[in-house]
Amino acid sequence: MSDLDRAIEQLRACRLIPESQVRELCYKARELLIEEGNVVSVDAPVTICGDIHGQFHDLMELFRVGGDVPDTNYLFMGDFVDRGFYSLESFLLLLCLKVRYPDRITLIRGNHESRQITTVYGFYDECIRKYGSANVWRYCCEVFDYLALGAIVLGASSELEPTSTTALSSMPIDDSELETEVLNSRGEVTMSTYRARQRSSSDASTDSRNISPPRDISAAPGQAAAPSRSGAPGTGASGDGNGSAVTSRTGAVLCVHGGLSPLIDSVDKIRLIDRKQEVPHEGAMCDLLWSDPDEIEGWGLSPRGAGFLFGGDIVKQFNHLNGLSLVARAHQLVMEGYKEMFDGGIVTVWSAPNYCYRCGNVAAILELGEDTSGGGTVARSNGEYGRSNGIVSNSRVVSPGRRYRVFEAAAQDTRGMPAKKPVADYFLVSFFPLLS
Amino acid sequence: MANPVIRVLSILDPSTPHTFIQPTKKIHESQDVSTFLTSKAYTDIMTWILQLNRSMFPLKVADDNIQTWTLNSDSIQFSAPVRQLQRLLSKLEDIIQEVPPDTGPRRFGNISFRRWCEVVESRASDLLEECLPADLLHRGSSGEGATAETELKSYFLGSWGSGQRLDNGTGHELSFLAFLGGIWKLNGFPKADPGVEERAIVVGVIHPYLELIRLLIKTYNLEPAGSHGVWGLDDHSFAPYIFGSAQFSPAINDTDLTPEEGSLPNAPDPSGVAKANIVERERQTNLYFSAIGFIYDVKRGPFWEHSPMLFDISGIRAGWGKINKGMIKMYNAEVLSKFPVVQHFPFGSLFSWDRDPNAPLPSSTVHTTSGPQARPVVPDSGPPSVAASRPVPGAGTQAPWAKSGAGTRAVPPMGSAAAPWAGARREGIPSSVPSGATRAPSILPETSRMPPGPMAPTRAPWSAQPQPSPSQDGDADVHTKAPWAK
Repeated sequence: MSDLDRAIEQLRACRLIPESQVRELCYKARELLIEEGNVVSVDAPVTICGDIHGQFHDLMELFRVGGDVPDTNYLFMGDFVDRGFYSLESFLLLLCLKVRYPDRITLIRGNHESRQITTVYGFYDECIRKYGSANVWRYCCEVFDYLALGAIVLGASSELEPTSTTALSSMPIDDSELETEVLNSRGEVTMSTYRARQRSSSDASTDSRNISPPRDISAAPGQAAAPSRSGAPGTGASGDGNGSAVTSRTGAVLCVHGGLSPLIDSVDKIRLIDRKQEVPHEGAMCDLLWSDPDEIEGWGLSPRGAGFLFGGDIVKQFNHLNGLSLVARAHQLVMEGYKEMFDGGIVTVWSAPNYCYRCGNVAAILELGEDTSGGGTVARSNGEYGRSNGIVSNSRVVSPGRRYRVFEAAAQDTRGMPAKKPVADYFLVSFFPLLS
Repeated sequence: MANPVIRVLSILDPSTPHTFIQPTKKIHESQDVSTFLTSKAYTDIMTWILQLNRSMFPLKVADDNIQTWTLNSDSIQFSAPVRQLQRLLSKLEDIIQEVPPDTGPRRFGNISFRRWCEVVESRASDLLEECLPADLLHRGSSGEGATAETELKSYFLGSWGSGQRLDNGTGHELSFLAFLGGIWKLNGFPKADPGVEERAIVVGVIHPYLELIRLLIKTYNLEPAGSHGVWGLDDHSFAPYIFGSAQFSPAINDTDLTPEEGSLPNAPDPSGVAKANIVERERQTNLYFSAIGFIYDVKRGPFWEHSPMLFDISGIRAGWGKINKGMIKMYNAEVLSKFPVVQHFPFGSLFSWDRDPNAPLPSSTVHTTSGPQARPVVPDSGPPSVAASRPVPGAGTQAPWAKSGAGTRAVPPMGSAAAPWAGARREGIPSSVPSGATRAPSILPETSRMPPGPMAPTRAPWSAQPQPSPSQDGDADVHTKAPWAK
């Protein structure tokens, strides 16, 4: 067993690895990440995850619900650290998995992967507390600077294979295809939506019908498996890099942590950013990590003090110009775990259940299946897709089939024993000899 | 008779004309926090908090008996002004009925809190007129400018939370403490033996205030302001941990200095905070446990995981006196010395931005090094300051890779624990002297060398003009705010 595998095993058990190993891990991760473009191309099938915020036990629950690495191909949209108790364990595990299975897990940067934010929201405090110095915090921050800013998912199928355990939802509806499906953590379908099957790609999504089968369909023998979970990556012919030849009718999916920027009108512009730095307070890179969609027209000021608010018109235009069918992002708590906006043009995915121990929300992950109908995909690359900006066919791209797996916070009994209790410094005498 | 060294907030001489000032914000840059720490306002706030804190220590009475001050104590008489303030709070609570939470699907914070704040603001003058004496409110009205009411209203309105960001935190709590301190300075409470009115204020006003805040938080899902996630003491409040630990500390008499360790004989063990049944029992009578109880109400998960700071403190063996002392140090460092918290505090005549003539000259070294763009330097010149001399893990190893905000923890949070009265101690004052109460003019706190708080330099160097914000705190929890955002 390699050191890396041992580290993975140890971190899965929620036990930290020694500082020297963290240093080595971060060095290897940087070497790997530096080779990734600002926008990583990822092939479907992929499972897209939102904020984690140091909720380690809930991250384990996520893997239980979504499948383990490397069996499932994962894309995490940032905010691994801050707020929760286990930012270190969570981030270091994800980083180990990245180094161990670089093609099966993609990590992109969230606004919390920043020196300044982590000194305010807890990760710094945690590093000091758990390692006794800021060294590990420093190593991690150096990795943050190399994380990609976004990802493009290619080759996603427009149609979901119905989850096999649900007799009702597989009831065929003439000439319709399964567009979205929501499953609970036991793999039971709680909601499905269908849309008219379109052989041509014109105006496909306007005639969708919502069919909600009864909740909690029983008779699910064991865990339901996602149909495409173990599909091999990178099947199919590789694209020619011009974007125009992607034959799948499903548009690509852009994944970023926050959202769009008024300075970014094409995916190509993201590629021009010099990302290897602390997150700036303004500008394109900042916006991608900080912005939020909102029910407004155009652009608005963000109450966060960084990034912008953007409306549905902005999303529609951006998706159209870039041949995208969907923007997936995280960054905002949504009580239901996911939230689609603007006719499904953008979705928020949130993966930290009962956020901050008190919000009472559920979490979700988004599975995009692989298009096996012969559509072209490109092998994992640094994102050649969409290079030919502006050349967009008239045919409307169809959004991918979306399977949301919703889950709740991990049970308390899955957690370890209390950590040791070093007394907070304010309450110590020894550091204040003059006072005692 | 009170010990003459035990200081209380001075009352304005009614025979001397006083000029009131519309309170305005003065803390625009992180460097301004250093100036604040040498201001009259800072001295007054610390004096007021220590005065209230002292009053909650159990009292030695005749025949070796001890009088404790529980939340339901019959021995605490509420004066007329205290009862009027209770009326004020209950009127605010009634407004919740008028503004039920919005039922639409929205984010965590409920938008109706914004409406609640608007209603309170629109009625603030009437409410204050109704519940405070007219001669108190209208002091200064002979002139053209501000009155006492102008100043009090400013702190009153800052006490509830941010209607814009739907959050609540220790900055709002500070504003309410200033509101009460302002009334005290205006002679709004009757003369009584030392501690009598103060503990009526803590038990009769501050506790109901905290209960109202908790109701607001639950009703409108208010977010924690200025949160360090699980690594902060509490999402919203600090005062109950100070006054509640005093309730369990060893008894004192009128002239005793507040003890720094030990506990009241029958006090529960501090480790009780991690036991639900003990919390349930103690929260009825003790402010510390009432705050812990609220955490139990709103959070799920292991206590040691969602509240590790409080869990650590529960392991302290040296008693509630030690916890009380630590809480005051921590309040000074984590609330009063934090730019995001105090940046919204407005200064008028009651809490004045003027320099306290007894405070040491601000050190220019600290001013420049605490700025966001400067490399953090642990001050090492001059007399040894506690923070500079203590072995801070990681301090001094940060500057090389630090960009604008990275230096914010040059001195990690625990490192900024220098007590403002540290200087006084060095000059030979007995070790158990309560801080603000003991400061002779010549030995005021060494605030100029207070290390910058971890969040102090987080303001973006290029954002010269702070945007006005109704909020008291810098950061909300559930939706991250940029720390450089105003």
